[in-house]
Amino acid sequence: MRNPLRKRIPRELIKEFGKYAVIFIFLTATIGFVSGFLVAAGSMTKAYEESYETYNVEDGHFELLSQITKEEITRIEKEKVTLYENFFLELDTDSNGKKDTSTLRVYQNRDEINQVCVMKGRLPKKENEIAIDRMYAENNKIKVNDVIRLEGKEVIVTGYVALSDYSALFSNNSDMMFDAVKFGVGVMSKEGFLQFKEAPHYNYSWKYKNTPTTEKEKKEASEDFLASLVKVGQIKNYVPEYDNQAIHFAGEDLGKDKSIMLVLLYILIAILAFVFMVTIHHTIVKEAGVIGTLRASGYKKSELFLHYMASPMLVTLCAAIVGNVLGYTVFKNIAASLYYGSYSLPTYHTVWNLEAFLLTTVVPLVIMLGVNMISLLHSLKLSPLQFLRRDFKKNKGKKQVKLPNVGFMNRFRMRIMIQNCSSYFTLLGGIVFSSVLLMFGLMMSPLLSHFQASVLDFKLAKYQYILKTPTSIENQGAEEYSALGLTFVADKGKEEEITVYGIKEKSAYVKESMPKNGVLISDGFAEKYKLKEGDTFTLKEKYENKRYKFKVQGIKEYPAAMAIFMSNKAFIDVFEKDEGYFNGYFSNKELDLPQEAVVSVITEEDMTKITRQLDLSMGDMFVMINVFAVVLFSLLIYLLTKLILERNTNSISLVKIIGYDNLEIGKLYLVATTWVVIASILVSLFLSTFVMKWIYAFMMKEFNGWLTFYIKPTIYIEMFVISIMAYAAVALMQLRKIKRIPMQEVLKNVE
Amino acid sequence: MSNQEKGTPLILLENIYKIYEMGEEQVRANDGINLSIQKGEFVAIVGKSGSGKSTAMNIIGALDVPTSGRYLLNGIDVSGMKDDELAGIRNKMIGFIFQQYHLLPRLSVLENVELPLLYAGVSPAQRKERAMKALEKVGIADKWNNQPKQLSGGQQQRVSIARALVGNPSLILADEPTGALDSKTSREVLTFLQQIHEDGNTIVLITHDNSIALEAQRVVRLKDGKIIFDGPSEEYRKVQVNMQ
Repeated sequence: MRNPLRKRIPRELIKEFGKYAVIFIFLTATIGFVSGFLVAAGSMTKAYEESYETYNVEDGHFELLSQITKEEITRIEKEKVTLYENFFLELDTDSNGKKDTSTLRVYQNRDEINQVCVMKGRLPKKENEIAIDRMYAENNKIKVNDVIRLEGKEVIVTGYVALSDYSALFSNNSDMMFDAVKFGVGVMSKEGFLQFKEAPHYNYSWKYKNTPTTEKEKKEASEDFLASLVKVGQIKNYVPEYDNQAIHFAGEDLGKDKSIMLVLLYILIAILAFVFMVTIHHTIVKEAGVIGTLRASGYKKSELFLHYMASPMLVTLCAAIVGNVLGYTVFKNIAASLYYGSYSLPTYHTVWNLEAFLLTTVVPLVIMLGVNMISLLHSLKLSPLQFLRRDFKKNKGKKQVKLPNVGFMNRFRMRIMIQNCSSYFTLLGGIVFSSVLLMFGLMMSPLLSHFQASVLDFKLAKYQYILKTPTSIENQGAEEYSALGLTFVADKGKEEEITVYGIKEKSAYVKESMPKNGVLISDGFAEKYKLKEGDTFTLKEKYENKRYKFKVQGIKEYPAAMAIFMSNKAFIDVFEKDEGYFNGYFSNKELDLPQEAVVSVITEEDMTKITRQLDLSMGDMFVMINVFAVVLFSLLIYLLTKLILERNTNSISLVKIIGYDNLEIGKLYLVATTWVVIASILVSLFLSTFVMKWIYAFMMKEFNGWLTFYIKPTIYIEMFVISIMAYAAVALMQLRKIKRIPMQEVLKNVE
Repeated sequence: MSNQEKGTPLILLENIYKIYEMGEEQVRANDGINLSIQKGEFVAIVGKSGSGKSTAMNIIGALDVPTSGRYLLNGIDVSGMKDDELAGIRNKMIGFIFQQYHLLPRLSVLENVELPLLYAGVSPAQRKERAMKALEKVGIADKWNNQPKQLSGGQQQRVSIARALVGNPSLILADEPTGALDSKTSREVLTFLQQIHEDGNTIVLITHDNSIALEAQRVVRLKDGKIIFDGPSEEYRKVQVNMQ
């Protein structure tokens, strides 16, 4: 230990224990959460990927209108597949005596295909027993050993399970979003399954004998299989594994937020690095004499550099280590619970994640080092004599800013602001960052409610029936339409399904008249891909290369889906359908259609399930973000106002001697900060709206569909009030600090 | 010792220029300085504010390098040295005495004096022995365990002199050493410097005060970055009025 300054490191850490402890705790919690998130996502992704083999997940399934014979199965299996009966019943529930029912899709216990992971309790054995999906159970507050009613029959819940082919509870593969409140899955014993009188859904799962590996091979194998299957009988449903949202949606979402989490972590580290930078600069100015003496005595710049870098690096390193330990123990479980709150994933084992370790340890250290290195090298550039004489070069030639004649107090405050402008800029950056987080946390629930209301306001009809084949009905009020799904290929090859509607002339359900050339596009489609009137775009067939070019002739408010609208006549022309073609009905009343004729029905409930599910799975996250934002906001204000007061300790001591009381001093020093904080909050409200819009667009591009951007106006008031309250708490703490500055301070030797 | 008695000079400044760029203007802080100081000399560099004496001190003290010219310290060319090399030269060859003493507030008197030895890697026992000797030399050995703030200004300056002496440097560079002291304490400090000089040390004293400069053996006066007088202090006493 050749550097006597090193003794200062533990002394500084003890003296400033409060400051370092708060930064340490905050950094640890943030690193811990991100590390926990990455570890949980990594471990769950591994468990999810392994589940294909562990639970023997199907290569696809199809549903037929009737059961097929063993001979037919044998014949089908000649197509290089193995078939498994995977029949199910769709039963209405009456859980815990509640009147509003949900649908439970019940299978028989599965031994061969799509096996079940028991999360809690056990599998059912008796006729009156059932094991149900964990997430559905939790959403509906059903506990193990509870009794639920299925089609009027009472059954005991023996356990929570995760079905390997239902990690996301999509009841229908064409749904935009699943609804784990209104739809769940479960398994029963054979006896239990057979006790229900209604005919089951004749669902068959298949596995290829030679498993295709690439996406292309999978698609070709599926198309070949489908072609041979058509000969067997009427197919009600056909879903190859690669196209099955219930299997893939969760897997694709796991770790999807990784990049945004890391960006947030790194911005936060950069802000704290700036706080350290301002603090170190202040310390260097304070200790200029010591630095000058040491430099004159032969101490090298590099030794001083290492000394001043020690505290931020030490705090960051400790926070990274402790954060990672907590990440693997505490935060991993929190992150996992967020995933378990959204998906029906099987159990997982924590796996070591080198990437998470590097991203949450090495990168924060590099950011901390980088930001402080630039500033420190600049500060230590001065010669030893300049340090000794406190001759800080950068002040040379700087003209005194001429202040307007606004009274002594205000001029004094303005001087404080000028003197501390680096701290205030850091504060502004921090407030903008916290405001963006706060805005995100506060805006999402109202945005979802607003979206839900808009979806209902601008829906086409209460019921949208999608038919397998044109089926005539005699129902006044129902209106025929055509629809099909095409794919929009966005930047970077991301594909998005767009529903193309063919609307009858003088439609009672779509008020806008359809353009002769071109199409109307839904507002979400226009917003997401920045399309406007007069633009052209191309859609392609999902599994083929056939492309269609369309011109935008107008934008229709239809937030429920990404869709385009044209006249049914144009639809028939473009897609070469027979004269009079249609494949759906709009109706405001439930229609009496033969079950086999209907592919699906879109109701108001279906249209709003995305908002319900997002609110359910993300609601806790929004609260956490808000708490995090307020803590960060308070922390930054605390650290920077503390620094400003420390920088002015002598002046405060002096004005005390002159006769100012603590409150008056507080008014001098804290009012200047209050001005800056209020101005920063106002600026941040404005800036965070723009930043949020940008982040939102970026974020939504990753998802299918579009939720219209909306900030409830009262959120600005909420943000302002929350910020001011947090500041008031910090200001009170700083007022106490002012009280504690002794008058003798200014009389002491400054060095 | 006069300039004429030629030996290997301890300090040899040849054509030293230090030019600062201030926007489009050039400021010649040192404008072609030639100076030779022999071992054992007591030289005062005197000049008004802006005369270039601090720049000259920076260069002599290896705190800075000249824009052009050559500076040999004990025969070693330090004019082109890098920052870390200069730090090594300072540690081994130069002892500094500052106007504001610049003692490290948290260290004891003894630890402050030990500072240059600590960095030079001297063993703790030797460090303590040499530091105590230096403190004895300046007459405050009894205060070795005190903290700087417990001492008077004069005592603090004596500690800083002990610190400058402890490493047996080739050169002691005193920058306005009496600037913060009252006249009585100033006198004491100057007496110490003279004693140190009599012990065979080379001292370069930087001051703006002619009366202080006259305490040295030789006076070098700077004006506008140039030497306008270089001679014995007795001679300077006669001409100083004309040089104001």
